[in-house]
Amino acid sequence: MSEIILEAKGICKSFSGVKVLKSVNFSVRKGEVHALMGENGAGKSTLIKILTGAYTKDSGTIEWKGKPVEINSLGDCQKLGMSCIYQELSVIPALTVSQNVFLGREPRTLGIIDHAKMRTMTRELIERYGFPLDPDARVSDLGIGVRQMVEILKGLSCKAEVLIMDEPTASLSGKEAETLFSIIERLREQGVSVIYISHRLEEVYRLADRLTILRDGENEAVLDHDQIDPRKVISLMIGKEIDESAGTVNTMHTPTGDVLLHVERLSNLSSFHDVSFDIHRGEIVGFGGLIGAGRTEIMRAIFGIDSFTSGSITFDGKPFRSTPKKSIRAGIGFVPEDRRGQGFIPLLSTTRNVALTNYDIIGKKGLAIDEKEELAMSRRAIEKMDVRPSDPGKQVGLMSGGNQQKVVVGKWLMRDLKLLIVDEPTAGIDVGAKDEIYGILEDLAHQGVAVILVSSDLQELIRVSHRILVMRKGSIVREFNNGSVTQSMVLEAASGLQA
Amino acid sequence: MKQSTLRKLITLAMLAVLCIFFTAKNAVFMSAGNLIAILRDASVAGIVGVGLTCVILTAGIDLSTGSVIALVGMTMANVYEYTLWPIWVMILLGLLVGALCGLINGFVVARLHIPEFIGTLATMGIFRSLTYVIAVDESYQMRTAEFVKWGGKAASFQLGGQNVDIYWVVIALLVITLLGQLLLKKTRLGTNLYAVGSNPKAAQLSGINTENTRIMAFVITGLLAAVGGVFQTARLQSTQVLLADSFNFDPIAAAVIGGCALDGGEGDCIGTLLGAIFMAALNSGIMKLGLSSAWQNVIKGIIIILVVLFDAWYRRFMSTRAMKRKAQQSGTEVA
Repeated sequence: MSEIILEAKGICKSFSGVKVLKSVNFSVRKGEVHALMGENGAGKSTLIKILTGAYTKDSGTIEWKGKPVEINSLGDCQKLGMSCIYQELSVIPALTVSQNVFLGREPRTLGIIDHAKMRTMTRELIERYGFPLDPDARVSDLGIGVRQMVEILKGLSCKAEVLIMDEPTASLSGKEAETLFSIIERLREQGVSVIYISHRLEEVYRLADRLTILRDGENEAVLDHDQIDPRKVISLMIGKEIDESAGTVNTMHTPTGDVLLHVERLSNLSSFHDVSFDIHRGEIVGFGGLIGAGRTEIMRAIFGIDSFTSGSITFDGKPFRSTPKKSIRAGIGFVPEDRRGQGFIPLLSTTRNVALTNYDIIGKKGLAIDEKEELAMSRRAIEKMDVRPSDPGKQVGLMSGGNQQKVVVGKWLMRDLKLLIVDEPTAGIDVGAKDEIYGILEDLAHQGVAVILVSSDLQELIRVSHRILVMRKGSIVREFNNGSVTQSMVLEAASGLQA
Repeated sequence: MKQSTLRKLITLAMLAVLCIFFTAKNAVFMSAGNLIAILRDASVAGIVGVGLTCVILTAGIDLSTGSVIALVGMTMANVYEYTLWPIWVMILLGLLVGALCGLINGFVVARLHIPEFIGTLATMGIFRSLTYVIAVDESYQMRTAEFVKWGGKAASFQLGGQNVDIYWVVIALLVITLLGQLLLKKTRLGTNLYAVGSNPKAAQLSGINTENTRIMAFVITGLLAAVGGVFQTARLQSTQVLLADSFNFDPIAAAVIGGCALDGGEGDCIGTLLGAIFMAALNSGIMKLGLSSAWQNVIKGIIIILVVLFDAWYRRFMSTRAMKRKAQQSGTEVA
């Protein structure tokens, strides 16, 4: 068994009084692929941010090759020999592969960059680790998977001994992922350690020498490769007692209302393929799946933000090729995943944010907006959603996350709504506001409005949905429309395990 | 073929179309004399354009270059009037003033985080006003032979019966373009300029000091605006408070027509050189057509809009083509 290169012991971290990590231990051996798994909120990213110096730990020690070290910045982390492959890619499109690899460390003679030497050095790295790369290719001409390789190569060129990869396959195609796996295997042979964070069981099963599972900020288990059994991993991640306790199991229903939305064999260039489903009036349909399964992309296509390449959408009995404006007029509401970036206008007041999607139904005084009517609408939304502060003139950007989301949802309730699509509606908001939003969704369903709920929070998905569709790699792989459903069942479907 | 090469061929093609059009209207356009005049006229905008290329590569803009030229000219003429110090001291002083203006721009934009557009719009006003402040008279003569020679010819010879003049300013343009290209392609600063414009976050993660990189781009622009100011003053043998009023615009136009993307990371000095020649040819053509010079800016403005429009379309076209190719590839893999 090879030596331990990185060891974190008893790591604790709290954010405003909430313990996110409770004395977590984590160790990486030389030349091993060590997977890190856990549900959303289990503490994976907090642990990684502590290891890379983005957060400071409250207590605990980190040892590098047996010596205690303090990691206070990304620079410290890189100096030790750790390199992080970022989810949002950090390569420079305007430069070539070799320029990217040696950015900031270019070999020079008399201030002039020695391009020939840089190219040779890049080529040596490429050959050593078996990357299918051309040192002179411009990164802007490369696909996302190849860009990721450039980033890995850059880490290796800094003599990194530990590479941290956070959901590296989330936006890769099957072929690109295969190439990445063979590179990871090559790295292992060369003695490089990889910390591999992923929700995807089959990847972990295939690659990992060891697996650490976190749950609620605690070490749930450390498994060796031959102990990794997918079902066991899922039950460890979710926790058996929780999985079977009341409130996390729910009975699914076959829909009874009329079909409102009919999606037929919808495909686009990259993220979803041949997807068909029906949504009925008065039902809440949950969409489950791992990050990158194509759920958000389908919803954006239905609402008319992005285009699709084939298939058809029928809404309310009529064929529908949408733009956001047409969708809104037809009675569809959309609460996007990225609340801050796409959900509302931070600098505008509650009144203006509520009114923004509703100016077609607010009266006019000549050319001007009827501000009385606008204000009345905003007061209705504030009352209905219990937005705090209840001042209609308050800038939405200054409110708490939960109240911001109430404004975003509330503006749709002012219309004659037929379908409301909500994408990760409760991400990062407090428990009280979550419950209120669930209540609103249930009320809507009672009134005959159809609701599509895209959520990675399994507990929420099961609690709120009447029916659940599970997506995997751009297709719907499982439908739960009767009997009881547990979190494990959804996660197993999303991970590609057969029922 | 590399995309940047292709883009330069497009600029050349636009230049060719322009030349054919104007020659058809007026045969004098293609005479050696006129071509040399075009090159001479392109020079100051081209020299400043090399600096602006650096700034635009970082996704920035500098609106103040015309004002820097005027301030440099006025400082030299004024100090000379009262001290009669040697000309080389004056030129050095001018360059120093230009670099300082650039440093101020860089500080305002990169350190104080004022958006480029508004920051350099403010300094454009400040530098122009300072020109008025230090000027006792509205204009000054600078007729010393030692100075004036830089505005004239370096050499003159006969070629095939035509008189060919080589101006100092044209030599400067070519040398500076070459040095600029070397800086961009062969030095760490050059690479950093591309990096900062293309993906500032990634540049920062790679240990690049993005603020200093942006400041350097402005200092280079200020310095080159000063070089332009020296040649312009020498050519006119005088300076005045309104000197180079249009030079806030022409170097930007040259860079954009030459293929610099306003959102950064794209373009180089050779492209800007071609852009500057295009602008000068356009000016010359408009004059030869007998249109009033008042029309110049109307036509230049329209052409800029068309080029930016074309660039946007061209980039979209290139990226959808790449995406389709990739989709096709992965499609065949599935099958």
